[in-house]
Amino acid sequence: MNNPVTLISVTFMASVICAFLPRKIKPVFALVVSAFVLFGSIEIFRMNPVIWSIYGIPGLLRVDSLSAFVLIFIAFFGVLAILYSAGFMKDRINIGNYYAYILATIAGSIGAVLANNILLFMVFWGFLGITLYLLIGIGGDGAKDAAKKTFIIVGGSDAIMLVGVAILWRATGSFRMDEYALLLNNGSMVIAFVCLLVGAFAKGGVMPLHTWIPDSAKAAPVPVMAFLPASLDKLLGIYFLARIVCGIFVVVPNSGLSLLLLITGSFTIIAGVMMALVQHDMKRLLSYHAVSQVGYMVVGIGTANPIGIAGGLFHMLNNAIYKNALFLSAGAVEKKTGTTQLDKLGGIAHFMPITFLCCLISSLAISGIPPFNGFVSKWMIYQSIIDLGKDGGRLWIIWLATAMFGSALTLASFMKLLHAVFLGQQGAGSDRQVKEVPASMWVPMGILAVLCIVFGVFAFGIPLKYFIIPAVFGDISYAGLWQPGSATIFIIAGLAVGAAIYLLGTIKTARTAEPFIGGEVLPVEERPTGTEFYNTIADIPIFGKIYGMAGEGLFDIYQLCRRFIFSVTRVLQYLHNGVLSTYITWCLIGMLVLFIFMLRCMG
Amino acid sequence: MHNIIPIFVIIPLAGAFLTSLIGKKVKGVPDMLGNLSTACLLIASLLSISFVSKCGVLVYKVGAWVPPIGITMVMDGFTSFMLVTVNLVAFLVTVYSVNYMEKFTSKWTFYTLFLLMLAGMNGVIVTGDMFNLFVFMEIASVASYALVAFGTEEEELEASFKYLIMSTVGSLFVLLGIVFMYSYTSTLNMADMAAVLTQKGAGNITLFTGVLFLMGFGLKAAIVPFHAWLPDAHPSAPAPISAMLSGVLIKSLGIYTIARIFYNVFGMGAKFTEVLLIFGALSMVVGALLASGQWDFKRLLAYSSISQIGYIILGLAIGTPLAILGALFHLFNHSVFKSLLFLNSGALEYATGTRDMRLMGGLKEKMPVTGRTSFIASMSIAGVPPFNGFFSKLIIIFAAVQAGYIGYAFLAALVSVVTLAYFATVQKNVFFGSPSGALTASDGKVTKKWDDIKEPPVFMKVPVIILAIICIFGGLLIAPRFSQNFLKAATDALMAGKDYAATVFGGLGL
Repeated sequence: MNNPVTLISVTFMASVICAFLPRKIKPVFALVVSAFVLFGSIEIFRMNPVIWSIYGIPGLLRVDSLSAFVLIFIAFFGVLAILYSAGFMKDRINIGNYYAYILATIAGSIGAVLANNILLFMVFWGFLGITLYLLIGIGGDGAKDAAKKTFIIVGGSDAIMLVGVAILWRATGSFRMDEYALLLNNGSMVIAFVCLLVGAFAKGGVMPLHTWIPDSAKAAPVPVMAFLPASLDKLLGIYFLARIVCGIFVVVPNSGLSLLLLITGSFTIIAGVMMALVQHDMKRLLSYHAVSQVGYMVVGIGTANPIGIAGGLFHMLNNAIYKNALFLSAGAVEKKTGTTQLDKLGGIAHFMPITFLCCLISSLAISGIPPFNGFVSKWMIYQSIIDLGKDGGRLWIIWLATAMFGSALTLASFMKLLHAVFLGQQGAGSDRQVKEVPASMWVPMGILAVLCIVFGVFAFGIPLKYFIIPAVFGDISYAGLWQPGSATIFIIAGLAVGAAIYLLGTIKTARTAEPFIGGEVLPVEERPTGTEFYNTIADIPIFGKIYGMAGEGLFDIYQLCRRFIFSVTRVLQYLHNGVLSTYITWCLIGMLVLFIFMLRCMG
Repeated sequence: MHNIIPIFVIIPLAGAFLTSLIGKKVKGVPDMLGNLSTACLLIASLLSISFVSKCGVLVYKVGAWVPPIGITMVMDGFTSFMLVTVNLVAFLVTVYSVNYMEKFTSKWTFYTLFLLMLAGMNGVIVTGDMFNLFVFMEIASVASYALVAFGTEEEELEASFKYLIMSTVGSLFVLLGIVFMYSYTSTLNMADMAAVLTQKGAGNITLFTGVLFLMGFGLKAAIVPFHAWLPDAHPSAPAPISAMLSGVLIKSLGIYTIARIFYNVFGMGAKFTEVLLIFGALSMVVGALLASGQWDFKRLLAYSSISQIGYIILGLAIGTPLAILGALFHLFNHSVFKSLLFLNSGALEYATGTRDMRLMGGLKEKMPVTGRTSFIASMSIAGVPPFNGFFSKLIIIFAAVQAGYIGYAFLAALVSVVTLAYFATVQKNVFFGSPSGALTASDGKVTKKWDDIKEPPVFMKVPVIILAIICIFGGLLIAPRFSQNFLKAATDALMAGKDYAATVFGGLGL
């Protein structure tokens, strides 16, 4: 399976076959296929960088360090998604060709990552839009609007990308990505850069093209959210962004386009996390974090210095891991309690300890708490921002401040989530005794949580060494010193001492007391929920106004375009009044204008 | 070999004659004759590709009169390309009509008119004579007026009337243009006319007649602002006819004639390029915007035809070999997916009795074949890979950028986004979700449940499946092996420009 053509075509064929299999066999079949794909991807990963020419087309496919490591993780998340779905989707009816679509998505992603010919890349890239559309559409009635919106944003951005590709082709006469290394020194190149950027941003969910992610979070099946917008689309979007910034084009640190990336990235971090703070639905909250986190990657890659790119890519990988874990635990909660409304949940940590633990670890990881993986990649990104200042940039302090502030707000919103869902008193939605989810659901979560720890504690030993550093061209020097291994020992020691003091101190004096409210029994609906404290943010006048506008879709580029188009359409519809004489008049006026035009040409 | 050319007119004319003669009396004959004729035509048109690839240009002298006195019929790459497109759709549409037209009373009238229209279209494509072209165009048009009014409901008659009046105005200006050209060149033979124009110098007369032709043929092609008849006429016709009208009629009467005359007879000048660019862009934008505001499925498709015609015109206007290749490829693709969509609309109307998308919903489960094929067609028309529409739009955008029209390339991309948006809306409203989700109409009235909805009968399914397969694999047509004799040959025929005259007269010797 180390031939990429075989790998892609076998997976595609498997997805077609999967559509015709009996319902019971589908998940098993899909799991086997995805395991094979993972195996094949590892084989490809272990090869040296190589460019294949296939069917007489030179340079059609390519494996290099960047695509190889993305490839492995695509296959890896594919296996987890299918494993999890086997448990999660079991009771659902009308899932149609769910597994076939997932396999087709894996095949398309492999193709997109391995494609070296940019046209082939566009074909796979666009094809992924269709599978995403169909997968979100599986969510049923509630999901059909979100599916449509997703498809319009993601598919529409592909059309814009085509113009960029065309400009590239005109400038170089080549479709091979390995032959491009274009300087951004004239207008048409900048247009091409921005066009390609639109595609990467829409896929990755960078503002302002992010609005499909929160919309689809609510209705789409959780494994779909975990697999696509949270991990796969991030991998692909950021992969392509990295390709644009340091393969197709040569972006110089502190240049104008680097600034563009830094601005969009920082804005995405802050705006995403601010929206997440006030959400009342677990899946929606997570989806805004899926937007916010991608800002870090854009900032990292936007600095265009090696450590930034390495940090961005590492953050992409880490984000895919912990965001996937978070969505999967949201799915576990939904499966067992039937809701993801934060107001209705509470206190289920006792009943679902594994889910709680996984969610806790990944929450800490996303918030950038050492020694988890999110910390290391954020730390690298901060360094790259500081390096910008060393190279003479002036605005670096702004990017640094937003990135750090965003990280703090992330922690705040995850405190809310953990408290509202797992801790505190039991809510109305979870008052019956819930049980832990089946193994096929907690195993993927557990694997991901373990990865969060491993990639954090052994950051330099495993992920950076094997995956990230080879993918980045240029030397990486760390300004500060971070030794995750010893730091972890200190942290564990600190925790142990703290625990010891706590236990010793409280054994004698501990006393639990029911809250006393004048002898009344506290009704469930009046219990303190995890979300109330955060509602005060929306009460601050200026934020309240901004949130209100966001609610009306004033910041949603999709809604804005839609309104604009329909207002023009109404004018045109008014003109088409169905009166024959009007229509004939148009024809004659059209002809008259033509005559005048031709007369002027005659001079 | 050149004897194959008149067959394209003779078969449908004979079929029409026989159908009207005996079809009324014997049941089943109209279906059989109609399908037999179109099947023969499809085979003949496929054969013509190999003939053209062998001999280059075939010329048939009608009545053995030598041109420029006699009438010629010419077959080059462009002709055979158009013939395949037209007859492929025609054949599938006749298969579809076997079941669909059951609900109308007189099938024999339908097939007679259908075959007449087909004779007109094929005639326009094969003829090498200006006035002959006009006559065939009128045959096709008159038959199509009657077919639009076939249901004889109020709305259909009104649409047909509008179509008739406007189309006649268009034909009038075409005739006027032909008269002017005749007075200037003293010939009606297109090849001869091209030769005389080269000899005498094109002069201002081509600009003048160019405007007349642009208006006349532009009206047949439904280019904005001459498009207003189309959104009434195309939805009113029975579904198979809508498929024919939108799929191939506007292309053979409009696009083919514009391309042939402006490229091969007049020689494309900078002024025509400019005008066609603007027309193309205008059609693209206006059609797409109007389509996005529609709830009537067939009307939406009709507006979208205007928009897609804009792409073809844009490609033809740019005029580089790549652009023409893209335009012709898009022409072929559009006839495939647009006829597929119209046939689907017929299936939907057949099953639900309505064309209002707000009243439909969740039909994917109930009508899997219709749902899937229309999904494929929608993706194709929206230009999503790996379907055929993606490749033709890609070529047009690339050609625009290559020729330096980055603005037009952007416009094409943006219109493609709008196209995607309204087809995603179609999919959402008609096929996605569950049937119960669409029970309430816009006025709050509860309509009947689509419980008893079934997939249409077999002859309505086979053609859509074939068309969907072409949509999926159509992208392969640009692969060098397949494009050589088909798209490439057609492009070369147009790119030859005024060498057309020399090739045609050279082809006489054969």
